This record gives sequence, C-alpha cells and structure tokens, in this order.
Amino acid sequence: MGWFILIPSTILGIILCINDFGAAWIWTRVFAIANDGTNGNTLYFGVRLSNITDTVIGVPFIIGALLVSFSKEKNEDEFIAELRLSSLLWAVWVNYILLLLAFLLVYGSPFVEVMVYNMFTTLLIFIIRFNYLLYRNSKTVPDEK
Amino acid sequence: MKNNIRIERAIKGMTQEDLSVKVSVSRQTINAIESNKYIPSTVLALKIARVFKKPVEEIFILEKND
Repeated sequence: MGWFILIPSTILGIILCINDFGAAWIWTRVFAIANDGTNGNTLYFGVRLSNITDTVIGVPFIIGALLVSFSKEKNEDEFIAELRLSSLLWAVWVNYILLLLAFLLVYGSPFVEVMVYNMFTTLLIFIIRFNYLLYRNSKTVPDEK
Repeated sequence: MKNNIRIERAIKGMTQEDLSVKVSVSRQTINAIESNKYIPSTVLALKIARVFKKPVEEIFILEKND
C-alpha cells in the first residue's frame, strides 16, 4: 500500500528536482501559518495564493514513506522489530554524517538543495537499510540442521 | 551468550521451521538466535525452553564477557 504511494511520488519528486523546481503549474489559495509577505517580511496566519506543486508531491511522499517504514511485516516478530530499530538508528547516523559533510563542503545556494534533500533522506536511508537487512537475513536461512 | 538450540533441536528431530511455529516467530529469528546474531527476549527464551521441556539455563548459557 505504502509502496503504491511512495514510488509515484518519488518519481515525480525526482522529475521536479531535475526541472529545477520550475514545474510550478499548480497554483491555488491555501491557508498558511507562515508565508512570504510583501517587501520581505513574513505573513502569519492568512489565506493567500501559492504554488503547491511541492506540497502535492511532498505530502504523498512522506505519507508513503511512513507507511512503508512503519507498517508491520507479514511475519513481524521481535527479531524483525529489533532490525527495524537498529536500521532506524543506523539511518539517523548516516544521514547526519552526510549532513555534516554537506555542511563542511557545500556553501552558498546549493546548500538549500542539500536541506531540501535532507528532509527526505532519513526515511529513504532507513527503508533501504531495513529492506537490505531483511533480504540478507532471509538469504542466510538455508543453513538448516 | 551462547545456546544449545541447534543441539536440542537435533535431539528432538525438529527443523528450525517446526520450532519457529511452536514459539510463533519467523524462521529467520530461530536462525539468527542459533548463529548468535540475536539475543532473544526473556519471553521467547522461556517459550523455547518450554518446547524442549528444560530449564532456560540448560539452553542459554552466559559467557565470560557477558
């Protein structure tokens, strides 16, 4: 279920990144807690016209990724729960090490892109790591007896 | 911590699958415990001991560095 939401929104997200966030074709009026105001100050709590392309893609991505990450396996037991926790820890570590490197090595406006990607990488790294561990453990089973 | 599950299984003529069904976990879990990659919870250790009708200490043994 989660995969059905995650995969299309990931693909759309990648397209959006390649297009340099230029595919701003969905405009609508939204309620915002904070938004750009005129002459550079921030407007709080108001309804105003905004581009919601990244909302439309980001929200399903996060929901899909959460569903994929935290729905139970078919045969969820304590060992798989432990794998899940340890891969989450691993993902947080890896994500912050990457972020640290980015802090040290990326300056200027490309750093904004780093922050954009970083919003999603923790969950992505977690999903990859957890599924890799599941795969590896189902592989090593054949040493029966 | 080490354990004698593999030996106990051999005595009873059980496969990993049989044991995993009896204690209601996946077969990967039994495999991971046998290869000392995973330390089971107390509940699971007690269930395994009950399957073999032995006290837990005869199946799970502490090692020096535990």
